[in-house]
Amino acid sequence: VPTRHWRAVIAAIAIAIVAAATASAAALSIDATIEPAQIEVGESARLTIFTSGGGTLSVPLPVVSGLEFRVVGQSRQIQMINGRTIESTSTIIRVTPDQAGVFTIPGLTPTSPPLVLRVNPSNGSSSRYGNGASPGQTPLLPGGSLPNGIHLTPDGSAFVHLEMPKHEIYVGESVPVEIQVGMRDGFVASINGLPKLNSGDFTLNNLSRQPERAPKTIDGKAFTVYTWRSLLAAVKPGTYSLAFETPLTVRVRTRPQRDSMLDDLLGDPFLQNFFGATIPKDVTVSSPEAAIKVLPLPTEGRPPDFGGAVGTFKVSTDISSAKNTAGDPLTLRMHVHGAGNFDRVESSMLGGDAQWKTYEPKATFNSTDPLGYRGEKIFEQPLIASQPGTQTIPPLNFSYFDPGARRYETARSAPLTVTVAPPADSLANEPPPNAAGAAADEAHSGLRPDHAVTEARVDSLIPAYFQPRFLGFSSVLALLFGGGWVALRRRERDALDTQRQRERARAQLTQTLLDKMSAASAAGDAAVFLNSARSALQQTLGARWQLAPEEISEALVDARIEDADREDIRQIFALADEANYSGDDVKAADFERWTQIVGRHLGEEKAS
Amino acid sequence: MSRRAPWGVLLIALAMFGSASHAEPAHAAEPAQAAGQAQDTRQTQAGYSAPALYNLANAYARAGKPGLAVLNYERARLLEPNDPDIEANLHHVREASGLPPESPGRLQSLTGFASPRTFAWVGILGLAVAGVSALARRLYPRHRRKLLAAILAGISLLGVTIASAITLWPIMHEAVVITQAAPVRVSPVPIEEPIFVLPEASMVEMSAEHDGFVLIRTKAGRTGWAQRANLAPIIPKH
Repeated sequence: VPTRHWRAVIAAIAIAIVAAATASAAALSIDATIEPAQIEVGESARLTIFTSGGGTLSVPLPVVSGLEFRVVGQSRQIQMINGRTIESTSTIIRVTPDQAGVFTIPGLTPTSPPLVLRVNPSNGSSSRYGNGASPGQTPLLPGGSLPNGIHLTPDGSAFVHLEMPKHEIYVGESVPVEIQVGMRDGFVASINGLPKLNSGDFTLNNLSRQPERAPKTIDGKAFTVYTWRSLLAAVKPGTYSLAFETPLTVRVRTRPQRDSMLDDLLGDPFLQNFFGATIPKDVTVSSPEAAIKVLPLPTEGRPPDFGGAVGTFKVSTDISSAKNTAGDPLTLRMHVHGAGNFDRVESSMLGGDAQWKTYEPKATFNSTDPLGYRGEKIFEQPLIASQPGTQTIPPLNFSYFDPGARRYETARSAPLTVTVAPPADSLANEPPPNAAGAAADEAHSGLRPDHAVTEARVDSLIPAYFQPRFLGFSSVLALLFGGGWVALRRRERDALDTQRQRERARAQLTQTLLDKMSAASAAGDAAVFLNSARSALQQTLGARWQLAPEEISEALVDARIEDADREDIRQIFALADEANYSGDDVKAADFERWTQIVGRHLGEEKAS
Repeated sequence: MSRRAPWGVLLIALAMFGSASHAEPAHAAEPAQAAGQAQDTRQTQAGYSAPALYNLANAYARAGKPGLAVLNYERARLLEPNDPDIEANLHHVREASGLPPESPGRLQSLTGFASPRTFAWVGILGLAVAGVSALARRLYPRHRRKLLAAILAGISLLGVTIASAITLWPIMHEAVVITQAAPVRVSPVPIEEPIFVLPEASMVEMSAEHDGFVLIRTKAGRTGWAQRANLAPIIPKH
């Protein structure tokens, strides 16, 4: 038995080996399909390569200019049919065109036919996702309506929601609205603009520039919700459908979801984007249309001063000062506070009359909310009282339409009282009170008594030294003294100069006489020598004694000179006379002695 | 020039000053330029005296017009700076109006013992003494030291007058609020909201004028434009 058993085993192995050899020798088949065969730029097609056979075939990615091939998934299946092992593989490749055109993907084997992909130009930079609209791309997530009134886009990536407090409004009435834009985290790349109205029959005022951002979980999905607030106002009556649009950039899946095994495996959007399963696409997301009924303002009961204010308001007034002077301006303020369309809140304030001169009012608005829906508008009007006395500022009216009460209302302020004093001019013109008869009142009982008025009066209160006549007089006086001082000083200087001139002339004459003496001495002319010597001495002594040279005589020399030179000088004077009258000669030795005597006297003069 | 010439010059100058003073009433009789300043006009025509101004100020004070009272007290004080009644009543009226008391400066205290008119004559005297002494010093060199002392004395008298003028110079531009309140604005237009209000009888310093408004500066250093009609200058410019 054992021998027969081993024989059976050996036979089975042999059969298996033969079968395996037969299977490996079987031919491999390759098939490829592309879906869809026609796409637009920005979209992707799916290339699926099927291989089937007894072995594994490595299929290289095709290379076509203008097309990008990227493997996004692969599946493998092994079957045993009639003892044959058949292996089937399915490789999914994403094909993304760079440009429009007709692309031919060559066959993967020499026998397989080529594939053709038509790429059309994009018929718009963005797609519109609206309420129930069908997108061009395969949705990432299931869209649809949610219980809280939010309508997701078909791909479930975003929503726009309009929040309105009421759906029946009046023309001109401002209604605060909220526009919410929700973006599924990871599926919306950016918001490309502010929400816009789809209707020209409404105005959107004070739309916040920066929306509020808050995370929100909707139907178990994480969203980031951006909220804008604004004031909606209707232009004309009627029934309208209102919706908001917001431009977004979303990530769009490039292949049908049913074929994406990888997407199912990689549910995380980050991983899906990482593996290149989506591409960015500009879309415009719209909110569901909301029906709004706009009512006209009633004409019945409309006040004449109605200026278009719709809302609920209250009015009060105040004045800058309850006491004033006629001709001096006051400021009258009217405060209108409440909620409504403050851009239509206007007032002409007080009209001019005989009591009040009025000016154009100016208005400032202080909002208590970011929309400018609630707050206070202050009108300021300058007034000038024309007459003194107690003046009354009449009440100010303000008419508006109350949409809650559905009727016109007129708010009225309280009257104001102002005490106006007489103007300053009349004060100045007012005659002074009777001083003599005035009895001191209690407030001024501490005043000291009046003085007896004398006749002494001044013409001006300007201090004398600021008056022109004083300044002129003192200036003239100062100039006269200055001039006198300068004149005296100049006279002294002139006298000094005359004396110096005289001394200079005398010194010059003396020198001439000395030169003459030298010449006469050399020539032996005694008469000339002695006359010159006498003249030189007369010049010198005359200057010393403050006398004229001609007045210097022997007698004067006798009287004023006491030393030994007296005899010598007298002798010179006598010899000069003798020489003039007798003609006696003087010895040469005497010339020298007389020259020394004259020289000594001249030297004393110079020294003095 | 004769040695007696300086004395002659002095006599001629004094004669000129005397003739100018006699000619003054004709000048004072000119109509006042400032319209609405009837009081100033009346007083200009009649002349100013310290007792009359003081009595007028008392009358205004009793009538409950502290602005005009303070104005006339200040004017009376210019003519009689040492009158204790003026000082007392001025202090009383200012205090009754709720205004802070005035604190005179050191220079004002030094020069407040005489009226500006007296100081003016002292200045003339000082100028004459200094000038004549300077001339005599040239003519009489033997008395140089005595004459130098006389020159210094004359210059000292002149210095006292100059100090008094410096003290009084700010008063030339001061004014008193004569209305119950004087609104002060940033610019000289009536429709501006006042930045502050001057109380009656308060004193301000005036500078520029524009279209019925005066640029004022308070003692506290605040500035703004007040209506000219609300203010009266202590020293009328006429």
